[in-house]
Amino acid sequence: MNRAMLVARHEYFTNIRRGGFLFAAFGVPLITVGLMVIVFALTFQNEMDSTRVGRVGYVDQSGILAQAIDQPESFERYETEAAAEGALTATEGIGAYFVLPPNYLETGRVRLISNGDTPDALNDEIDTFLLANLGGDLEPEVAVRIKDPVNTAVLTLDNGRVIADNAVIGVFLAPLIFVMVFLLASQTTSGYLMSGVVEEKSNRIMEILVTSITPFQLLFGKIIGLGLLGLTQLTIWVLMGYITLRLGQNSEFLSGISIPPDLLIVGLIYFLLGYFFLASLMAGIGAVVGSEQESRQLAGLFSFGLAVPFFAIVQFFTAPDSFIVTFLTLFPLTSPVAVILRMGFGVIPTWQLITSMVLLLLTALFVTWASARIFRWSLLMYGKRPNLRQTVSAIFRSSGMETTATEERTA
Amino acid sequence: MPERVAISVEHISKSYGNFRAVNDLSFEVYSGEILAMLGPNGAGKSTTIRMILDILKPDSGKISVLGAPINDESKNRIGYLPEERGLYRGVPVLEMMVYLATLKGLSQADAKQRAMRYLEQVDLAEHAKKKVSELSKGMQQKVQFGVTILHEPELIIIDEPFSGLDPVNTRLIEGLIRDLKARGGAIVMSTHQMYQVEEMADRLLMINRGEQKLYGKVDEVRSRYALPAVNVEGRGDWASISGVERVEVSENGRPSALLYLKPNVQPDQVLGEIARRDDIHIQRFELAVPSLNDIFIQVVASDKDKPRE
Repeated sequence: MNRAMLVARHEYFTNIRRGGFLFAAFGVPLITVGLMVIVFALTFQNEMDSTRVGRVGYVDQSGILAQAIDQPESFERYETEAAAEGALTATEGIGAYFVLPPNYLETGRVRLISNGDTPDALNDEIDTFLLANLGGDLEPEVAVRIKDPVNTAVLTLDNGRVIADNAVIGVFLAPLIFVMVFLLASQTTSGYLMSGVVEEKSNRIMEILVTSITPFQLLFGKIIGLGLLGLTQLTIWVLMGYITLRLGQNSEFLSGISIPPDLLIVGLIYFLLGYFFLASLMAGIGAVVGSEQESRQLAGLFSFGLAVPFFAIVQFFTAPDSFIVTFLTLFPLTSPVAVILRMGFGVIPTWQLITSMVLLLLTALFVTWASARIFRWSLLMYGKRPNLRQTVSAIFRSSGMETTATEERTA
Repeated sequence: MPERVAISVEHISKSYGNFRAVNDLSFEVYSGEILAMLGPNGAGKSTTIRMILDILKPDSGKISVLGAPINDESKNRIGYLPEERGLYRGVPVLEMMVYLATLKGLSQADAKQRAMRYLEQVDLAEHAKKKVSELSKGMQQKVQFGVTILHEPELIIIDEPFSGLDPVNTRLIEGLIRDLKARGGAIVMSTHQMYQVEEMADRLLMINRGEQKLYGKVDEVRSRYALPAVNVEGRGDWASISGVERVEVSENGRPSALLYLKPNVQPDQVLGEIARRDDIHIQRFELAVPSLNDIFIQVVASDKDKPRE
């Protein structure tokens, strides 16, 4: 087997057993999904269940409900407010009552009196009841239209994708979730890469490794192995997300979330390119810095760069053609997140998508090449921390680079 | 059997900036021998080793390893034990040994079998599943040595192989090194333990300030530094021997003396005279050879005042 693949396999299987990885892969989504389910369950139960109020009384002082039609079963008419109030305070009485004052038609005001808070569903029920009675004299079709005046078909502009009524929140949520997943997966794995390099360098196992394989094989193997680890993590999350969606199909909110296939494909491309870029960057940093703590600080800086488009999220909604959004779409560090956000929210011109991908790919290739050189060269620095000038010159100045017999022949 | 050259180093030099770490160094290492590499800290030993292993490139000169400039294939036939130990601390012992051995070209199954056999041999089998960080320093050293020889290399370069080992484990590792030598392996051993060199090494190379100071068979080097004197143990009037200039008598349990010889007098002439005379009896007669330790200190001290290039 190719040596780089041996490294990849070792990195994959060593890191997949880490407590940190298992937690990130299973714990984080489980906790997130669990919390979501609990929050939604509570909210829905609260808002969608009008029966928890019990029976609802009403007092009609306006005369609109004199010959009430379509009265819900749980509703009960009282002639005076005093009677309704009495029923409200009685032990086995009603849970709430509403009053239509004499000037209701002019003002539209309705007073709702209850013992506690009332669910949204009760308001909807009252609305429907009043609408039915207000439109009582109209043609049936008109009455129906009054009840349901708009039938929306939301189309996003770029691809004519139709969004179901209840999915409007979902389509905006999908890219956000995707971005979070991308950030977490690429950061954990490239973080492992960096701390691995720092460990190998500081405890000199590097010297044993480079007497077995070339630094480039080592770096390449690590990027592949940990990249596969990141994909594993991503797959676990997508599967768990899918299961959650299936389970939550009855819930109006969750069933609206779907990840469209084109977003998935572009997302995957950007995940791979973005990871490739980040991983080689981290390997380069790991090769230069002396301690794990130091490397974390620098890594944090780059991770922050990845997340920058989040701070401009309002621009993505309101001014997708602005300079800042275009810049974030094209700039290699910010493009993975920016592109996914734009895919989700609306239009991204094809030229921008292609330019952005090419730029990211070229940058990733350059960074990998530069990191391999830094990686190779930093092996020679024993106990010394190279400064920025030395690091830069190691990348570009071929005479400053210490190639060895093995490398010269493979070059 | 003609000796095969495992390492050939020809006139290599290496500078770090203005600092000349290695200066025009040449030597060879043969199969089936142990070459001790000696020198004070900072003498250029590690730089030399790293150049042999292709971690560093010499500024000038030529190195050939196992018959050719080092390449991916010959790397598989080399074992290296670095001075600062390199092990994955968080990985189980067996797994790490297998991984590093597969990087040397062994198959997974073969590597596992050999690693298990080695761990049993050095009494670490019960620790195979433990993480390296849970082992004592001596155990880690044995694991490290195992990593060096698991793929049965034809050449091993070992830097301070006995550090952190108790006498029993030192003997164990010594045995493994001798086994390798007996199978025709070439061994380069860098160490500060002079008695190990006297006991184990066939030849030695001493470097100071990046330059070769001593190079040759251990016995020859020592006799080169022999005093014009002999150690004797026995009874008699030592001063009456004709070739003897001066006598230093020492009384440490048995009567013995250090006899300094007159210029141009050979030790065997003195021995001949003793044999002929009836009034002198000896139990021991040997050249007054200084220990390697003494030679080492002498060489380093004589270099001390010279300006460095």
